[in-house]
Amino acid sequence: MLGAIFRDSLKNLSSNLLRSGLTMLGVIIGVASVIAMMAIVEGGQVWLVNSIERLGTNLLFVWKKRLTVEEKRMFAGRNLQLRYDDALAIRERFPDLKVAPIIDIDGQVKAGERDYSGSITATSPEFSDIRNFHTATGRFLQATDINTWNRSVVLGKTIAEVLYGSQSAIGQQLKVGEHRFHVIGVMEPKGEVYGQDYDEMVFIPVTTALRFFKGSDKIRSMIIHVPDRDKMEEVTHKLHQFLIQRHDGVDDIRVRNQGDFLGAIDRTIWTFRIVLGGIAIVALLVGGIGIMNIMLVTVTERTREIGLRKAIGAKRQDILLQFLIESTTISVIGGCFGVVLGIFAAYGFGNLVAQSMPGGGDWGAVIQPTAIAIAFMFAVAVGIGFGLFPAIKASRLDPAEALRYQ
Amino acid sequence: MLITLSHINKIFTTGEVTVHALDDLNVEIKQGEFVAIIGQSGSGKTTLLDIVGCLSQPTSGDYWLNGAHINKLPDSELTTIRNRQIGFIFQTFHLLPRKTALENVQLPLMYAGATSRQQRDRAVEVLTMVGLQDRMNHHSNQLSGGQQQRVAIARALANRPALLLADEPTGNLDSQSGNEILIIFEELHRQGQTIVMITHDPPIAQRANRRITLLDGRVVTDEFTEPRAQPVLQKI
Repeated sequence: MLGAIFRDSLKNLSSNLLRSGLTMLGVIIGVASVIAMMAIVEGGQVWLVNSIERLGTNLLFVWKKRLTVEEKRMFAGRNLQLRYDDALAIRERFPDLKVAPIIDIDGQVKAGERDYSGSITATSPEFSDIRNFHTATGRFLQATDINTWNRSVVLGKTIAEVLYGSQSAIGQQLKVGEHRFHVIGVMEPKGEVYGQDYDEMVFIPVTTALRFFKGSDKIRSMIIHVPDRDKMEEVTHKLHQFLIQRHDGVDDIRVRNQGDFLGAIDRTIWTFRIVLGGIAIVALLVGGIGIMNIMLVTVTERTREIGLRKAIGAKRQDILLQFLIESTTISVIGGCFGVVLGIFAAYGFGNLVAQSMPGGGDWGAVIQPTAIAIAFMFAVAVGIGFGLFPAIKASRLDPAEALRYQ
Repeated sequence: MLITLSHINKIFTTGEVTVHALDDLNVEIKQGEFVAIIGQSGSGKTTLLDIVGCLSQPTSGDYWLNGAHINKLPDSELTTIRNRQIGFIFQTFHLLPRKTALENVQLPLMYAGATSRQQRDRAVEVLTMVGLQDRMNHHSNQLSGGQQQRVAIARALANRPALLLADEPTGNLDSQSGNEILIIFEELHRQGQTIVMITHDPPIAQRANRRITLLDGRVVTDEFTEPRAQPVLQKI
């Protein structure tokens, strides 16, 4: 009997194609937007996570916390800065870790007539391995550069081109600020990572920077590579405690691992997922109202048929089932079309972003089977849910009145 | 007794207006009778058809059909009784337009829970009985009025009902098609089928072997006659 009812409902739907099509359109748009929204958010997450992981993996970031005026007063006289000594102490205490202290210097690099103004990064040889960022020609900073406050400089690809054009930069003399340096290496092209153009970086030894450009041994931050990913949390904690102890018991530093950043991203993505998914589901609910509307019209139009069916032996649940199957059929067929449209819409959006957003080239839509399943099942639920009221109405019609309905 | 209607009242209230459609009506009908119920419009014959057909319940009084005390039964059991015990034939045929003759006849069998094989076999059988074996796969809107009414008769007979209940079965037909329908009724009657036919047309009522005349919801006359043979009947 179910098969017969299903064939009937297909026949009824196809007998008024325009109406059925318009009703389905609501469901199609709803399902498509659920799938597209989810795919775009999912793609965004993948893009962000990739961006972060391209910074290098298994990383810890250490920087100084901003203290309030009150705290500064309270802790006056204690050892409160993040210093180069801290980096050396960490190396000594945790020999497994690779530590790269970082200082930023604003300055000018000048080679003959050509110059470049911007940020210069003072760091240690470990930086190259930690960031997975290597020289194309020449060499990166070495231990000897650090130990002898060598005035050597490594240029990013773009900077090398700006200063020397097609000429080889290796061995050239240039001035960083007032000090004479010589070029020991040029970096491989890396492009923009998370908002920073790596090809525009200039590297000098951290000790040289402290000696020639800074009056103190304060450093801005440290990047630390942890060899064992499973020990990230443990190392983060130990390192933090170690630094607090070195800073006379004052917690004036932050230690964050990538997991913390990824966790923050995850929370943000969930917010997007809920907001955008919510909008899409509202669209689907509006589609459901369309189904309910059209099913109510159908029930009224077919009052005499319902009366006849009841007269010849259709039970309430038979009529209920008949109209419920019809509304569900609308939502199932609409859901199928919606899945297809949603996939197209998601990839279309992906391409649009790739073309219009700088650095968005690899933000593509990521369609997960679960998203499709959720959207489709929700559509079917909408068909059943919004079809229920018209179907109940139909099943409760009085047969004698329904038979003579004009 | 197939049908016993005892002190049946049916009162409709629409706003301030109260209509006493059936007024202490008492009728008994035996198995195998062919009864015509005659009356002007407003005499209560449609209301009586609804009650006899288990489509609605009387306001008061008792109704037994084939041993079942109908006015004590819940809605769901009335549905089963309509399906198994009663075959309806309507003035406007009430066929489903997007279905073939065969599918229309299968409908009550489907609701009775028959398998599709059983549905088909029985539908073919009754359609053959009413002479439509060549038209089984036509959609109902491709059939003439007389043919449509014959499909409706086949549908009414599908579950071998105790009672065939016809509401102005010839009302929408020309006299020849109407006559063909009445010939089928007479043949069914001859085979022992109980038929209750509602009509406002006395010559058609003459074809039955018992005529009950209603006026203002009461039985005014109840006469038995042997139906006189129609010339057309002899021809066929």
